Amino acid sequence: MDLWKLLLTLAVAGSSDAFSGSEAIPAVLNRASQSLQIVNPGPLTNSSGRPQFTKCRSPELETFSCYWTDGVHHGFGSPGAVQLFYIRRNTQEWTQEWKECPDYVSAGENSCYFNASYTSIWVPYCIKLTNNGGTVDQKCFSVEEIVQPDPPIGLNWTLLNTSLTGIHADIQVRWEPPSNADVQKGWIVLEYELQYKEINETQWKMMDPVLSTSVPVYSLRLDKEYEVRVRCRQRNSEKYGEFSEVLYVTLPQMSPVPCEEDFRFPWFLIIIFGMFGLTVIFLFMFSKQQRIKMLILPPVPVPKIKGIDPDLFKEGKLEEVNTILAIHDNYKPEFYNDDSWVEFIELDIDDPDEKTEGSDTDRLLSHDHQKLLNILGAKDDDSGRTSCYDPDILEADFHASDGGDGTSEAAQPQRLKGEADLLCLDMKNQNNPPGRDAPPAAGEPGVILAEEGKARPLPLGETESAHHAAHAPLHSPSPLANIDFYAQVSDITPAGSVVLSPGQRNKAGIPQCDAHPEVASLCQANFITDSAYFCEADAKKCIPVAPHVEVAARGEPSFNQEDIYITTESLTTTARRAGTAGPAPGSAMPVPDYTSIHIVQSPQGLVLNATALPRPDKEFLSSCGYVSTDQLNNIMP
Amino acid sequence: MDNKGLSLTGGPFLLVLVLVSSLLLCKNVASMPTCPSGAVSCEVPLGDLFDRAVILSHYIHNLSSEMFSEFDRQYAQDRQFITKAINGCHTSSIPTPEDKEQAQQMHHEDLLNLVLRVLRSWNEPLYHLVMEVRAIQEAPGTQEAPGTQETFAMQEALSTQEALSTQETLGIQETPNDILSRAIEIEDRNKQLLEGMEKIINQVQHGVRRNEAPSPWLGLPSLQEADEDTRLFAFYELIHCLRRDSHKIDNYLKVLKCRIVYDSNC
Repeated sequence: MDLWKLLLTLAVAGSSDAFSGSEAIPAVLNRASQSLQIVNPGPLTNSSGRPQFTKCRSPELETFSCYWTDGVHHGFGSPGAVQLFYIRRNTQEWTQEWKECPDYVSAGENSCYFNASYTSIWVPYCIKLTNNGGTVDQKCFSVEEIVQPDPPIGLNWTLLNTSLTGIHADIQVRWEPPSNADVQKGWIVLEYELQYKEINETQWKMMDPVLSTSVPVYSLRLDKEYEVRVRCRQRNSEKYGEFSEVLYVTLPQMSPVPCEEDFRFPWFLIIIFGMFGLTVIFLFMFSKQQRIKMLILPPVPVPKIKGIDPDLFKEGKLEEVNTILAIHDNYKPEFYNDDSWVEFIELDIDDPDEKTEGSDTDRLLSHDHQKLLNILGAKDDDSGRTSCYDPDILEADFHASDGGDGTSEAAQPQRLKGEADLLCLDMKNQNNPPGRDAPPAAGEPGVILAEEGKARPLPLGETESAHHAAHAPLHSPSPLANIDFYAQVSDITPAGSVVLSPGQRNKAGIPQCDAHPEVASLCQANFITDSAYFCEADAKKCIPVAPHVEVAARGEPSFNQEDIYITTESLTTTARRAGTAGPAPGSAMPVPDYTSIHIVQSPQGLVLNATALPRPDKEFLSSCGYVSTDQLNNIMP
Repeated sequence: MDNKGLSLTGGPFLLVLVLVSSLLLCKNVASMPTCPSGAVSCEVPLGDLFDRAVILSHYIHNLSSEMFSEFDRQYAQDRQFITKAINGCHTSSIPTPEDKEQAQQMHHEDLLNLVLRVLRSWNEPLYHLVMEVRAIQEAPGTQEAPGTQETFAMQEALSTQEALSTQETLGIQETPNDILSRAIEIEDRNKQLLEGMEKIINQVQHGVRRNEAPSPWLGLPSLQEADEDTRLFAFYELIHCLRRDSHKIDNYLKVLKCRIVYDSNC
């Protein structure tokens, strides 16, 4: 009843001046629509069993159709009693009355089809469904809002390209718009959406809507089959049409071997890099280039130190240990200063007995033995007499010939070594006839030093070590009996170094020097012919006799055993050996130990002075060996 | 002396100024098809004019649809504005074709003039729409629902390629993303489309002008109603009408383009 009232008012309102009264109509219609809404809560529920509109649809913006459900009939009449009426607004006014559906058949059952002549776009429509005269449902709409196109037709695909790996491919999918949509003239604009998936998948993949009728699909796997479907909608609408038929895409199998895309452990890469690394390593290992070798594989430093006999530690002979350690250049106890003479002084003070008994020569000799041993044993790589310096030989000899009682066991083997060395040297000496036999003419006076400057000073360390050696008490000169000493310059190397060869052998220091003439000759011989570098002390023995030609008769036996200087090829490793064969125990005269260069007789040689052993005059008793030019100048009268 | 100096130095400066300002202005204005320089009187090819007009109308319809959806979502959902298009729009009095046959049968000059008339009718409503939407958005009671930035389906409707081409052609800097910005954009583009249509008509009609009065719009009082529901309903209807009319114009122009430019061989 309300409905009829509203419609009546509508008709009344519409009949009046539409334009001028347009304000009134909206209000009326507003209320009408609201009441309409109340009457029809909405097509959500069909619990009452009444027929309801399901949807109205226009596929191409030229026609439309509406569908409804039949509902459950509660004893109503035949289903055919349902009717549809529509009303349409022309320009500003509604039509007078409701018109019935023009076509109940074309769109199927429970439908009403409005063909093109009944369809007006952009015009509001209201339709109502009646059942035996009673309105059961109503709906208002505009045709352009209910556009739902038909699905596209004519789907096909073409292969665009395949990837280089042969795994993926791109295809282009084409289709045609639905036949009833007049896209060509531009009456309707359609938007398409493509979906695809693998055959055995459940989830469709969606692409973005496109306006064109072909779209590329990228990255499809070659060994899979795909399904593709397209749907469309009017542009700016919300509702899509139905999906098209599914297009099956079977891609050609390009690679016969199915490639696994799973991660494979890169054995190949590992092998390649391993080979590369190994070749690099082997190249470096066997490379001749020392520098690279040093870089990559630095050599492990091999200890070259002889080491200390652990028995020393057991016996607690720390002094010997110290001595051994002192031989090495690096070892310097703190209180040793650079002034080696000072140290020497201290030594003398400490051992007064040693002073009187044995000369410094002896002491030095003994030390020199040790030093000789060590030096010979350690630094033998440059000389050509390596065989002599084999430690085994040395030790054997020394153990055999040892006669020292007071000497420490440490000093003993060293002395023995020295003896062995001296033995060897003596052998050489044999080859090199000692100067004794040489005519005592001033043939070869002294040491021939081509250039004084070339002669290298003894390293201070060695000097000191000589003094270190001096620490060891001089026990007995007798062990020196069998020691040979270098006394003669046998050769001068081109570089200016002096090669000393062993002088005469002195098995027993004294007897040899007993004879004065002998001594004299010795002295002279030693002095001259031996061309040895003497200690000052020794040289001075000869001085009083004659500057450098004559030999005093006093020739001390100790002089026989001149200061022996051992050297290797290079004077840098000159080991000083100062010492005499040990003065005759009964000799009260202090044997000059050191010789200073008295005269430089270039090119013939040097005349060495033997200095007395005035203790205060220590500075000249430094190294019984090479006396530097400064010292020489000091010594020179 | 001073004047002379000023003129000498000011001349090039003024020229530069003019050039720069023209460049700046031209940036904002979508580049309309222009005559090649040097021609005394030329006519831009009709096809170009139509292409541009179609792009503009397409764009305006997109914006209107989006605006309607946005408004519907924000303000109309809980208010149950079911009355869609029950009331006529103010442009209903203009006898536009209502289906394809009518559009195809109508003479293209008439149709063009109708389009022009509709476009002119929307000048004023659009102007007020912008003003009132601004007022609505600033009003405390009718704040926007949270998350009003982008609409859903409409945004999807404007597909990527479409958006890109439209943006390129029209020189769109930023796509508007709320009601107010869209309204402003629609107003601007509507004016541009109007200019384009006048050019087209000049070419088609060879200068013969028909000054037909646009439909008046009387909905301003409704937009300024005190009652919020009534006011929002007025907005709803206005935006609904805008969407419908922009769709109409878009369709008409596409049909005309096919007919005039391609001689119905699109």
